[in-house]
Amino acid sequence: MKVLVTGAGGFLGVHVVERLLAHGYTDIRCFLRDRTKAERLVELSRLNPGAQLELCSGNLRSKADCARAVADVSLVFHLVAGMKGAAAELFADSVIVSRNLVEALEQREGIPIQSTRIVLVSSFGVYGVVPLGRGARINETTPLEAHPELRDTYSHSKLRQEQLLWEYQRKDGFELIVLRPGVIYGPGGSAFSNRVGLQIGSAFFHLGGNNLLPLSYVANCAEAIVVAGGHPDAAGQVYNVHDDELPTAAEYLSEYKRQVKSVRSIRLPYFATRMLAGCLETYHRRSLGQLPAILTRYKVAAAWGGNDFDNAKLHSLGWRPLVTTQEAMAKTFEYLQGQNPQ
Amino acid sequence: MGLKIAIVGCGKIADAHVEEIRKIPSVQLSAVCDLEPIMAEQLATRYSVPRWYSDVATLLATEKPDVLHITTPPQSHLPLTRQAVAAGCHVFLEKPVALRHSDTELIVEAAVAGGRKLAVNYWPNFEAPALELRRLYEAGVLGSAVHIESFYGYDLAGEYGMALKRDPDHWVHRLPGKLFQNVLDHILNKIVPFLGNDEPFIQAIAYCGGEQGTEAGGGQVLDELRVILRGTSTSAYATFSSHARPVGHSLRFYGTKNTATVDFAARTVTLDRKATFPSAVGRLIPPFLSAKDYLRQGLKNVNSFSHARFHYFDGMRRLLTEFYLSIEQDSAVPIAYSEILRVSAMMDAIFQQVYPEVRA
Repeated sequence: MKVLVTGAGGFLGVHVVERLLAHGYTDIRCFLRDRTKAERLVELSRLNPGAQLELCSGNLRSKADCARAVADVSLVFHLVAGMKGAAAELFADSVIVSRNLVEALEQREGIPIQSTRIVLVSSFGVYGVVPLGRGARINETTPLEAHPELRDTYSHSKLRQEQLLWEYQRKDGFELIVLRPGVIYGPGGSAFSNRVGLQIGSAFFHLGGNNLLPLSYVANCAEAIVVAGGHPDAAGQVYNVHDDELPTAAEYLSEYKRQVKSVRSIRLPYFATRMLAGCLETYHRRSLGQLPAILTRYKVAAAWGGNDFDNAKLHSLGWRPLVTTQEAMAKTFEYLQGQNPQ
Repeated sequence: MGLKIAIVGCGKIADAHVEEIRKIPSVQLSAVCDLEPIMAEQLATRYSVPRWYSDVATLLATEKPDVLHITTPPQSHLPLTRQAVAAGCHVFLEKPVALRHSDTELIVEAAVAGGRKLAVNYWPNFEAPALELRRLYEAGVLGSAVHIESFYGYDLAGEYGMALKRDPDHWVHRLPGKLFQNVLDHILNKIVPFLGNDEPFIQAIAYCGGEQGTEAGGGQVLDELRVILRGTSTSAYATFSSHARPVGHSLRFYGTKNTATVDFAARTVTLDRKATFPSAVGRLIPPFLSAKDYLRQGLKNVNSFSHARFHYFDGMRRLLTEFYLSIEQDSAVPIAYSEILRVSAMMDAIFQQVYPEVRA
């Protein structure tokens, strides 16, 4: 079985390839945009002489590159997504590339798309958590965001990407599995998710407080993706991906300060953040956007309202974290400490 | 009801058009359009635009807009302008106007022949500092133009640069003037009103700057441009730099009476005046006069901010307001077509020197 991994050179992609090899997959096409990010993949190829690791570079915005990417594959791990930039770029890199990829699968000669399985890596950002209120438990039955235009454009583009793939799945009848990771972290990743707080100038505003942080250590997340991708019962299902024994945002920040470096943080309680967001929102509206509405009450409620999380469905597939949260945080902080020597 | 507006082309710059159109109460944005339906849909959803289309002919037939904003890549500007004018629309074009001067001429011809008005998004020229420079010039404070220096910096580590680097098929790589073509309008359109010659002498050089240069579109790109221009009685330097820091955007006007410096980033206009006191005293005074200029400009900016007139694209809002007014009152357009044509002719001449192989 030939497997395609899009975004294989990225933070998560390399780990997915590694876990695929560990699970016995031997014919893997690694599609990446930037060939300079292939170093680890080349090393993996060298370490696994029995496996065929094909490096394929291109841009999935190009239909021709999509056709090259999907040739002869029957299992697709679709990791590519726009992470930052203008809204147009995010939609192009998440939604348009997904459409191009599925259409390339549709257009293959001699291989019906129904025989293909697509594993999409989506995001927690697609959930409509605001109407649920603070502390609500998030699982796979939680409704999707009804007002994506009120959220950050990353979440909006990920929601549209996921909706688009379900639309094609209903039309084409291929097997689709969607994984929604929480905060993916680990060596090579960034120190703080917005769920912990925001860096503004030299100050770090700690907004997450005692909210649970839905951490997903990058190797554990990759393991979940590969386990779901190979499980016969996973077709048509959605899985939330986060680790067990989740810390709170305050605990994470405290450990970071202890293990990596001191950070001048200002803790804003939720009600104060909401009030500040309300003021910014009003000013943004009255001044016709003179200052950007980086904080709105809706965004604050979505990011820092605080939820409980449930990964029981993922566990039911047989997934187990490879690394405990305590070990994962230690490894991450060790890496970050190396990046920021005191 | 005021003018009905539509936008074709839903890339990054379309966000700015939507935001500025919505600040003008007398007009309504009725629809957006993009060949790529996902792009049209996302723009409409994010800004609650009533309708979106993926076919411009359907948009024109259904919405019957008074003005079509064209924010697509420049290679499509000529056919879209013709289509819009044929449908009775006035046209607001994003820069660069076209791939080459001959297309710009055809665009202007199409608008004139169809009896519709045309404007190009030369928004920095409608920023408060640019208007202040114009006022000083017209009031005779500066005297005649001797020399102009127009500087435009770009940070290719930003979003736009990242998009260029990531995507070898990015539309900018297919422009005859490549990276420069997308910004040169903003450099030259500040010079043209003062140059006083339809066919100035032009000498241009371009090179890869910085220690590493810039890798984009599958190879090294020329990312530094210097141009010398000589009109009948005025000369000019035009500079585009991707590596100079801080990223600047400025104009220096050397007049026969005084010299003015316009900083578009800080939104200031300062004057270097002829010394009025003799000897050492004359050398003591100028820094205090400059300090007074900066203080005055700073306070003016605070006043603009407090009255919510300090937006990034405030110049675009002002330009659009003037353009829409020219349509409603059938008066002169805010940018003379002759200026648009002169800018595009100069761009052609510069690209012939910088990329002779492309022109060949």
